[in-house]
Amino acid sequence: MHTSSTRAVTTADSGRRGLGRTGAGAPAPGGTARRSGGRWRTPLLFLLPFGVLFIAMYLVPIVFAFVQSLFTLQRSGLGLEAPTLDFTPLANYTRLLGDTEFLASLGRVALFGLVQVPVMLGLALLLALLLDSRSARGKGFFRLAAFLPYAVPGVIAAVMWSFLYSPVTSPINTLLERVVGTGIPFFAPEIVLWAVANIVTWGWTGYNMLIIYSSLQTIPAETIEAARLDGAGPARIAWSIKIPMVRPALVLTAVFSIIGSAQLYNEPKVLQTISGGAISNTFTPLMAAQAQVTAQNYPYAAAQSVVLALLVGVLSFTFFKLTNRGER
Amino acid sequence: MKKTVMRTVGITGALGLGLALAGCSGAAEPAASGPAEVTFWGWAPGYADAVDAFNASQDDVVVTYEEVAPGAKGGYDKMLNAVTAGNAPCLAQVGYETLTSFAAQGALEDVSEFANANEDEFTPATWSAVSIGDGVYGAPVDQGPMALFYNKAVFDELGIAVPTTWAEYQAAGEKLKAAGKSLSASYLNYDYAGFDWQAEAPWFSVDGDSWKVSIDSPEGQKVADYWQGLTDAGLISQAPMWDQSWYTGLGDGSIATHVGAVWIAGVLKGSAPDGAGKWAVAPMPQWEAGDDKVGNVGGSATAVLKGCDNPEAAWAFAHAMSTDPDIYTGLIEAAALYPAATELLDLPALGEPDPYFGDQVIFDVFAEASPLVTTGWTWGPNMPETVGFLDDGLGKAWSGKSTFADALTSTQQQTVDALEAQGLSVAE
Repeated sequence: MHTSSTRAVTTADSGRRGLGRTGAGAPAPGGTARRSGGRWRTPLLFLLPFGVLFIAMYLVPIVFAFVQSLFTLQRSGLGLEAPTLDFTPLANYTRLLGDTEFLASLGRVALFGLVQVPVMLGLALLLALLLDSRSARGKGFFRLAAFLPYAVPGVIAAVMWSFLYSPVTSPINTLLERVVGTGIPFFAPEIVLWAVANIVTWGWTGYNMLIIYSSLQTIPAETIEAARLDGAGPARIAWSIKIPMVRPALVLTAVFSIIGSAQLYNEPKVLQTISGGAISNTFTPLMAAQAQVTAQNYPYAAAQSVVLALLVGVLSFTFFKLTNRGER
Repeated sequence: MKKTVMRTVGITGALGLGLALAGCSGAAEPAASGPAEVTFWGWAPGYADAVDAFNASQDDVVVTYEEVAPGAKGGYDKMLNAVTAGNAPCLAQVGYETLTSFAAQGALEDVSEFANANEDEFTPATWSAVSIGDGVYGAPVDQGPMALFYNKAVFDELGIAVPTTWAEYQAAGEKLKAAGKSLSASYLNYDYAGFDWQAEAPWFSVDGDSWKVSIDSPEGQKVADYWQGLTDAGLISQAPMWDQSWYTGLGDGSIATHVGAVWIAGVLKGSAPDGAGKWAVAPMPQWEAGDDKVGNVGGSATAVLKGCDNPEAAWAFAHAMSTDPDIYTGLIEAAALYPAATELLDLPALGEPDPYFGDQVIFDVFAEASPLVTTGWTWGPNMPETVGFLDDGLGKAWSGKSTFADALTSTQQQTVDALEAQGLSVAE
């Protein structure tokens, strides 16, 4: 490295201050500062494209949404002029706490995640283990077949399922009525959430399976071999060797799925028109926020989004902490 | 490693949600010398051809037509976002029901200085639909007087007389049900509003400097009660209106009626081609025999959006599209629009027998209906929000999960709460 001398100086410097092996970025006094600025130029240049997009597409909208959420729309009289924005930092958040529809939507996606995520990941893990087993045949075909639903765009998939669920033309119910004499009321209030969960599971199991499967591929052959020599059967190997070793992949897919549940939108939105009112305008938090956008109440929609984002952030963090406990 | 994954996941999650709020739009209008340039956003069939015809007919204004999603399906959101962002087009297709809501967002440009001279060319009802106070915000394009569409082949076969009252309509439904057929449909939002319009049960009115919300009025409850009875008796098709299964039913005869506006004729022809030659049109059923009251559904304006830098050119096109006989003939043929301009009511295209309707001259029915549309209907200041509340309730009512009475009561309450929360003055 061309800056070896700088590094030597910095290291010595940090060492003197008893900081141990801190990074080379610690500000060095005197003449070295300019040179250490030079060694940052290249990495910064490489970071630039990401940095610009990250700031413009992520940070700015988030900050904007947060700032917007601190205002409330105010009108007067008949309100036929453009509304004004008042700075009332807590008003939207106070309203949100009493907004039973929004709170119900949060509860709904929480219940959804609690049931759907374990079912989907369990299925994905099972499929991945089957694909990974020694006796598996036609691996390429099954891998593709399980993954294929993921390749169908979410909205298209939902439209397709809406035909299958349709109260008038559902082929599933036509068949069931012929065979067992009764159909499934997909849009009954207590069933509709699971009708949605079914679509999501159909669409995402293959995707999660692939992540888990590729993680299974990285388990050293020697480890499996050793277990087999010790007399472990396939089930035992799966339970005691494979599953613990793909734990990071499971945690990752779980966190992705939790976030996905919180952002549930496409499927219920598409089904809404044929749901006979079972899927309301505020069925999920994002649908509720979107309804506020349609009503032109951007500040309140922003507040809803900020709260949802915070909840998801906290939940992902907690889940990660919990699953990480006891390791290492 | 794991830490990094976690942090990335956390941040992506939070950020993805924030992004859900970011809108998108784009249409800048370069000001150039030579012909004035005007951009127009709309979605109705035939509008693109109308723009082409206008551009070919003169050299002063060049209009660029851009198709957007139908208003309630995202088009209106896009327009309002563009106005907020300052890059909205000059002109946009805006339904009468949404025009007040647009004005309440400060999203419209007052063009009365150019438009007032043309007031006499339009029916009074449509002109009042584009005027709020002294301002005029666009040119009325069409109107939506209602009538009864019925499958004549089915009615004849079952020996059902064309109903003239709502009681007879219910009786017709009973006979259809006995033959395994049904009445249309699960009417929502503005399609449902047409029945309250006929029954003189306006949802909103202005009382001095306050809004009066009357969705839950006794007259409105009477209408709700009627549809409750038909739903309870199982006379209404389970196919959700505007769903593919609804179109299929209209085409194959299993749904044998629809009470709707004139432009339903275009919907039938376009989306239920199998019904060709079987359908016919009759006057809207009445509450009391001998009454002559008609409701209205839809109708839209070519509205001038806030920030338009050449409102005069914009008005020139909007006016021409609504009043030019050649251009409007195209709109009648493409979308069965019924003109808002009085002179166009004599257009030859409105007097032609239509093979889809067994060679009936259907516009004769609407020519009689148009002057009978009841007056006194006013749209509220935030219709997208109100119909959101209403559809949640009506959806449940049509599918038997709740009642129509509850739908009206809850919509009334939610609307009043939402308006008051924004500081509007509401008198109940």
